[in-house]
Amino acid sequence: MPTLREQPQAVVRIEQLHKYFGSLEVLKGVDMEVDRGEVVVILGPSGSGKSTLLRCINLLEKPTSGDIWFEDTRITDPATDINKIREHVGMVFQSFNLFPHLSAKKNVMLAQRKVLKRSKEEAERIAIEQLDKVGLSDRVDYMPAQLSGGQQQRVAIARALAMDPHVMLFDEATSALDPELVRGVLDVMRELARGGMTMIVVTHEMGFANEVADRAVFMDGGVIVEQGRPEDVFGNPTHERTRDFLGHIS
Amino acid sequence: MAVIAVLALVVSLTTPPQQAAGLTVEKATAKSNQQDGNEVIGGQPTRVTWEGRVAADEQISMLTLTFPEGTSLAEGASAKATVLDGLVRLEAVQDVQLDIQQAVITFEQPVASGLLLRVEIYNIALPAADGDYSIGGNYRNTTGEVVALTPSPPIAVISMTTVKAITLWLDDQPWVQSWNSVLFLRIFFNPQLIVASVPNLFDGWLHSLGLVLVGFPLAIPIGLGVSFLRMARLRIVRFISSIYVNIIRGTPLFLQIYIAFFGLPFLGISIDSYLLGILVLAMNSSAYLAEIFRAGIQSIHKGQFEASSSLGMNAVQTMFSVIIPQTVRRVIPTATSEFILLYKDTSLLAAVGVMEQMMFAKSMVASTGNMTPYIVAAGYYLLVTLPLTKIIASFERRLAAAEGSSTAPSSSKKRRRRLFAKPASDAPSEGVDADANPS
Repeated sequence: MPTLREQPQAVVRIEQLHKYFGSLEVLKGVDMEVDRGEVVVILGPSGSGKSTLLRCINLLEKPTSGDIWFEDTRITDPATDINKIREHVGMVFQSFNLFPHLSAKKNVMLAQRKVLKRSKEEAERIAIEQLDKVGLSDRVDYMPAQLSGGQQQRVAIARALAMDPHVMLFDEATSALDPELVRGVLDVMRELARGGMTMIVVTHEMGFANEVADRAVFMDGGVIVEQGRPEDVFGNPTHERTRDFLGHIS
Repeated sequence: MAVIAVLALVVSLTTPPQQAAGLTVEKATAKSNQQDGNEVIGGQPTRVTWEGRVAADEQISMLTLTFPEGTSLAEGASAKATVLDGLVRLEAVQDVQLDIQQAVITFEQPVASGLLLRVEIYNIALPAADGDYSIGGNYRNTTGEVVALTPSPPIAVISMTTVKAITLWLDDQPWVQSWNSVLFLRIFFNPQLIVASVPNLFDGWLHSLGLVLVGFPLAIPIGLGVSFLRMARLRIVRFISSIYVNIIRGTPLFLQIYIAFFGLPFLGISIDSYLLGILVLAMNSSAYLAEIFRAGIQSIHKGQFEASSSLGMNAVQTMFSVIIPQTVRRVIPTATSEFILLYKDTSLLAAVGVMEQMMFAKSMVASTGNMTPYIVAAGYYLLVTLPLTKIIASFERRLAAAEGSSTAPSSSKKRRRRLFAKPASDAPSEGVDADANPS
């Protein structure tokens, strides 16, 4: 982590991002930069636009205007091969979105084979390795339906990691989980952060944010209201809206 | 032995026995021994009638009729000979002797020229193997000369099959007779015809199965292709494919069959009717399958597309590796229903003369004047459709159990229990992605 941190370089850069759903403006000009190795936590009430922001970064939502750079590529340029970019942007969803017809191992193998064109043996080796990392070495051949929510989410993380992403996006990765299953997933995310992975995390887990994040971003009404070191944002919020929000959830 | 036989044959060919110029064989028939039909079953008692007319300048004192090899006599077998002068019966017969090889008739006084000899043999069973059989024999004239008869016109005999044996057995059963004395039962559930229809309509059943087993698999790729077009990004493609689907689904298959079968010949296109039947069925079914597939694909949670996209998979990879495998499981019940519909609809092809179940049943009904073959045909249709319906039901249950938890975003035990209690409401709520769907 420190070695990467010494040569900061923006992995993701967002400029004046606007996003409308119909006539509803969800993002009202967001600017943000995420450096290599940085862990950014995005907080905010429902409807504040934080998930939309995250989904714009790999173009699951198409920005209405503004620019997004991934490393040296302007991905908002229509000529950009977005699938090429997505290979390097791992995403973890609130609802896991595992492929229900494939075992845990095959979930992790599929994109490696199809997108990265890895051999079956290599993809399988990496799949087992990644599943081991998220603590599921004994569940490789289980079908998603046979796994708990926490286990499914960890398979989803392994699936994203197997693609060697340059950045990982977590979209409320623990929100759909029972409290007792949340910890296992957060442990994996914490490990990942320690290992120097660049991460953008939308979450409601304040403890996790406080502990792991390099930077906390508070969004409300489609704009970034406040950002800074987590201890500052949480401990001494400067905006009333931030205080309100933090007051509500803690 | 063989040499002798050959020699005998050669002899008989080179020196033919005297031709029966003196007695012209006019007819030889056997009465049908079928319950419903007019054929003669071999090995079963029948009545054989033989007639011959004495020619000019001939007087006959004895007549021998020889039966084909394999003939047998049933209980109560007897022979009766009559001499007719026009319509007048003459008392001329002295004696009739009957055994399994021949009937020998001696006359009190020589039968004069111009008279008709009629011999009726009751309860005689012609050979069991099917074929044409003639009755031969000879006569002796008053000079003591023995002259061979020309073989009689052949009697067509059909062999006794298991079905015929059962049918004949049923004919004799008292319960069958009382069953058949009820008009409704006789017309719709005639036991003898049930037995006769089952093997007969089996061929028709195979023909119908063939139509659907070739037509339906053909409809699958067409339907899948059309479903893709229905979801295409280009509006014009969607429009054209929707025309295809709507026209086919909006008009009767019967009409489509007529247009294809009577329209194509006008264009000088002649296709084997069985093949054309398959093509029309496939085209019709493809439109329905297209909608089934489209609904199936669109029922896949959008998270599956997003997860695939987020891993860098393109649309084709996503479709074939992620979406279609899941769709298959979901559309199997509805696609099987469509298979059942198509299978039943093969019957419409009877209207244009394609050989299938209905045609077989129709022709049997036409020849017997009884509805029973239709009932048997119904049984054959049910033989396919009922098990398939069962299979669909069990598949749907398994599907509900397998997918219940995997598509649910929250897999908490509490939630899962509720899902099983109310399988209908499994929809993974999109509302949870609050930011993606701002309200």
